[in-house]
Amino acid sequence: MSRPGRSWGAGLPVTLSTLAVAAGLLLLLPLAGLVLRTPWARLAMLLADPVVGAALRLSLVASLGALALSTVLGVPLAWVLARGDFPGKALLRALCLLPMVLPPVVAGVALLLVFGRRGLVGGPLAELTGLTLPYSPAGVVLAEAFVAMPFLVVTVEAGLRAVDRGFEDAAATLGADRWRTFRWVTVPLVARSLGAGMALSWARALGEFGATITFAGNLPGRTQTMPLAVYLQLDTDPETAYLLSLLLLGVSVAVLVALRGGYRAAAP
Amino acid sequence: MTLAADVRLRLGTLQLDASLRVTSGEIVAVVGPNGAGKTTLLRALAGLVPLAGGRVELEGRTWEDPSRGLRVPPERRPVGVVFQDRLLFPHLSVVDNVAFGLRAWGMRRRAAHRRAMDWLERVGLAGVARARPRALSGGQAQRVALARALAPAPALLLLDEPLASLDVEARRSIRHQLRTHLDAFRGPCLLVTHDPLDAATLAGRLTVLESGRVTQSGTVEEVTRRPRSDWIAELAGVNLYRGWGREGRVEFGAGAALVAPERVDGEVFAVIRPQAVALHRSRPHGTPRNVWSGQVATVDGRGDRMRVRVDGALPIVAEVTPAAVAELDLGRGGPVWVSVKATEVDLYPV
Repeated sequence: MSRPGRSWGAGLPVTLSTLAVAAGLLLLLPLAGLVLRTPWARLAMLLADPVVGAALRLSLVASLGALALSTVLGVPLAWVLARGDFPGKALLRALCLLPMVLPPVVAGVALLLVFGRRGLVGGPLAELTGLTLPYSPAGVVLAEAFVAMPFLVVTVEAGLRAVDRGFEDAAATLGADRWRTFRWVTVPLVARSLGAGMALSWARALGEFGATITFAGNLPGRTQTMPLAVYLQLDTDPETAYLLSLLLLGVSVAVLVALRGGYRAAAP
Repeated sequence: MTLAADVRLRLGTLQLDASLRVTSGEIVAVVGPNGAGKTTLLRALAGLVPLAGGRVELEGRTWEDPSRGLRVPPERRPVGVVFQDRLLFPHLSVVDNVAFGLRAWGMRRRAAHRRAMDWLERVGLAGVARARPRALSGGQAQRVALARALAPAPALLLLDEPLASLDVEARRSIRHQLRTHLDAFRGPCLLVTHDPLDAATLAGRLTVLESGRVTQSGTVEEVTRRPRSDWIAELAGVNLYRGWGREGRVEFGAGAALVAPERVDGEVFAVIRPQAVALHRSRPHGTPRNVWSGQVATVDGRGDRMRVRVDGALPIVAEVTPAAVAELDLGRGGPVWVSVKATEVDLYPV
């Protein structure tokens, strides 16, 4: 709605608009630089490179795997944090969100200590099943999920807290047990938060660098994701690095748009 | 089918301790002041709040009995609830809302959908079946909530302030429709309301809940004629006193007393209808045996009935004609004499 005699934006304080423009430039200028400096002619050649193809594939598969793991485990965790009533809940929440503030390299070191060949869990796991997570594609998924899941948990927990518990009561009086209520009522009601949380945690997983290189290494064709490839190329062949960066950017935008469409369709 | 409930629980500052029986086809209105525990009582019957003591039984089947560690969860109780804020699921269409209970109880999608459409037709809303709840008016949403609660054929029906959130116009038409649907319901029905008109028009019996306890129960006529608490007296618009009967008199302390129509002993309630109170500027002579003086406190009312509140040893409300108000010039306040015939004092034991 507009008021007569007032053009859009005319009422914004100058200080605020100036700062907003500065913020926009800060966010968009690097992207513009990337687009301007990219050697487009080499795009086709680069895409044909098996190492690049493998990195791109691994990035996509691992980040979506991390997203799936984060969703399957993170939504129930968010539910427990939002609805549970037990001693030490505040502490548990703080610990669960720790990976958000932990330097990713430290996260990688911590993962190595637990899931490494001689780690707390990794040791017995290797002995019993012969499975080793470090320096494997599964390790990439684990490292990314570790760092990305808290983003989903905070977002979904906030969404759950905002839902009127009365709807769940109503579902119960209509004969829906807790699981059905969760699927038919709670999840659809937090669809927006869930979508936002999924987008955030997926983006975090896709861009993940520190925990991945520490825990899963940088083996081309096996554990080398796009961000690792970009970093590696920057030393030897900066132009390829630019191109890879732009590719990563394109994929991010595409998946974000797809995710958004997906959760829009699921939302009321 | 009979609901027999003895609900004892504690929730915050509320201490609920209420017993009630509702037989099949009976509609009982639970009335009481705010915070009396009316909604909590309904929630406890539905299983949404656990009991600390007592028990809930429907036709011999125990739903909850803490002393035996027995508790049927809400989703396994055949109960229909219409919530005060209705709580229609915003992400589902109207027909899916109504079908929700049928689906949850295991009916197949298409059959549930058909049955839900039948119910929407019954409440006159088949036309908005595909709409989302937020597109409905208050009255429509109320009817959908009722259809949703009734669709799974519950054995017990609970309604929390079903008309409270509606405007006056919608209220009138919904009250009428609600009555029709409630009459058609076979099981016991409990209705929470704070509106005496709703209680009188929808329910056959009243249960008065005050501070978590049932202070009175009976037909609307019984309860309003012989109230047992100030809140009900206020609701019924009568003067209620509590005193001590002795040798044909009822004493209220501070020297106030009434002459009783019959001999009563022990603690009694005395009710005087405002219409039975006469006011005079000078001391009346003649038959009335109860005469005392007081000060006019307030005069209000409209139409052909005015209510005059008189302060004194025995504060009382009198209902007089506007002509009497004018003739006695009650509007300027001042001292008046109050007279009540002994036969107009209704006494009953506490």
